[in-house]
Amino acid sequence: MKFNFFHLMPWPDYPREPEEWPVSNKDFDAERGRQLYSDYIDCMAYAEQCGFDSIGCNEHHFSPYGLMSNCNLIGAALVHRTKTVRLAMLGNLVPLLNPVRVAEEYSMLDVMSGGRILAGMMRGIPHEYIAYNVPPSDSRERLREAVALIIKAWTEPEPFGWEGEFYQFPSVSIWPKPYQKPHPRLLMSASNDESAEFAAQHRAKMGIVLIADLKLARASIDLYHRVAHASGWEPTPEDILIGHHTCIADTDGEAREHMRKALDYFHHILMRPQRSAQQLVIQKTRYYQREETGERFQARLATLRARTMEEQIEAGSIYCGSPETVVEQIRRVHKVLGHGTEQFTMKVGNMPDQVVRRGMELFRDRVQPALRGL
Amino acid sequence: MGFERREVTLASGPVSYFVAGSGEPLLVLHPAGGVSISRPLEALAQRRTLYMPVTPGFDGTPPHQTVRSMEALADLAADYADAVIGKKCDVLGQSFGGWEALWLAVKHGARLDHLVLEAPAGVPAGGKGGLPADPAEARRKLFAYPDRAPPMTKPVEQLQGNRRMLDYYGAISLSDPTLPARVAAIKAPTLILMGTKDEIIPRETGQFLKREIAGSHLAYVYDAAHVVQSDQPERFLRIVGSFLERGEAYIVNWGASTRAAIPGGTR
Repeated sequence: MKFNFFHLMPWPDYPREPEEWPVSNKDFDAERGRQLYSDYIDCMAYAEQCGFDSIGCNEHHFSPYGLMSNCNLIGAALVHRTKTVRLAMLGNLVPLLNPVRVAEEYSMLDVMSGGRILAGMMRGIPHEYIAYNVPPSDSRERLREAVALIIKAWTEPEPFGWEGEFYQFPSVSIWPKPYQKPHPRLLMSASNDESAEFAAQHRAKMGIVLIADLKLARASIDLYHRVAHASGWEPTPEDILIGHHTCIADTDGEAREHMRKALDYFHHILMRPQRSAQQLVIQKTRYYQREETGERFQARLATLRARTMEEQIEAGSIYCGSPETVVEQIRRVHKVLGHGTEQFTMKVGNMPDQVVRRGMELFRDRVQPALRGL
Repeated sequence: MGFERREVTLASGPVSYFVAGSGEPLLVLHPAGGVSISRPLEALAQRRTLYMPVTPGFDGTPPHQTVRSMEALADLAADYADAVIGKKCDVLGQSFGGWEALWLAVKHGARLDHLVLEAPAGVPAGGKGGLPADPAEARRKLFAYPDRAPPMTKPVEQLQGNRRMLDYYGAISLSDPTLPARVAAIKAPTLILMGTKDEIIPRETGQFLKREIAGSHLAYVYDAAHVVQSDQPERFLRIVGSFLERGEAYIVNWGASTRAAIPGGTR
């Protein structure tokens, strides 16, 4: 099993429950921000020393949920802080961006890192579309066209033009081209049937995070396999990435105490403001082509929010405990999902950084060795 | 689009008003220059019934002796809405009219649906901004593009009379000592429009209102001075039309495909 160390770069001490999204930045403390970036990048780079196979970056906008509005900037900072670990860019929210720019920046990272990037092609969560004023109803088709254009930009040997529905570029020839040939491997979200099909059609690795129901996650994986087979390829277990909020501490009691506080901050402070904005997008647009998919998305988040920490552990939504306990929790989830890439988000909400680092070391010393061969 | 002039008699005296269009009602509260029928207002009247009362004392009408403050003017606007419109309505207040609209929303919120404030006056801004006394200087600050402004058809005496009415309503300083503490009571979905070149109402006013009115939206209209709808009529119409049509969902870009699928899609 491979392990990805994922970081949201959350603002860890927002003082109250934010009522609206975007969240006002009038109290943003720039010096605190500088310190957080420094600490977070150090922590992410430390993941290489702790035996993680990859480090995950991501993109979010307009709230304390995450300070990584451009994951490529953090990727660039990590290139020279690491040597062999892969950099999982999870990713650029492609329909919101200029796809030629995405192709260029991913290529830069790939060349600078000697071919270590995994290229996330994310559609993003609904409210991010408000941030960049892109029609959510077009998101799926924008993603489809943008991915096609990016691959073309990576692989065409001669300058070419692109005349699409959403993008028109009279002449493209990016410098640099990617280090990996023909191009870096893609990864896409597969948290619902629509996206699982889409990922499989694009021969991308698939990722699911914030799992509320293992059976539903299994169904998405099965669908991904079926569509991949129909598209002429067979995914390996490593192509399936499953993300979990994870706290590993010396004892179960210690881990649960830390996780309880961190989850409370995550769900009630960091996840709170975007709820109404997400609802607007889901109800007023065709972000989800199938109505039930949007309902499931909101129900999934509501379910996670309402569950106690013990219920979340039981449901396989989070990992929490001593190294031995977490090993057993991973084995149990793996038995259902059969995935080959596990993603830990260890900086959950306002989890103290020293707890995160201790957890990373316990992972290195007692979790990863126990799972060799899985 | 023809605006018809009518009159209604309320408890404090007669109120002259203009009405045009069809559709859901939009109460338009005019700025210190008096009623002015701009192209964006004519365009809004394609989809809305616009009601534009003339504030007593403005544009040659007689003042009401018992209405002598901005707060009292808002009470009068509520009486007017009850008598003429007869149901909940959207409100657009321009500058001086925005001040009146703020009081209307504070005191008579149940009568409002959406509230649009175009460079609203009434919020103290630490000495910034203000309306110059010199007419030429005032005009320079009102419009970034004077050539787009409605033609000046009002007699000079009427304009001077309008100016005197600011004093009559205690509004000459564009600053209301009691309003700021009350605006947090506003519950109506609110859009605050500010021109990026406005030197009369400073940006701090928009920021203050955004902060105090829960769930409100502040939007800057690029390359517009104080009279946003004159300087940038298309931008004004695009955002105001979308907000009135869709409320808080106006922040979501519908795109062409959803516009085609959902009747009334405007943005």
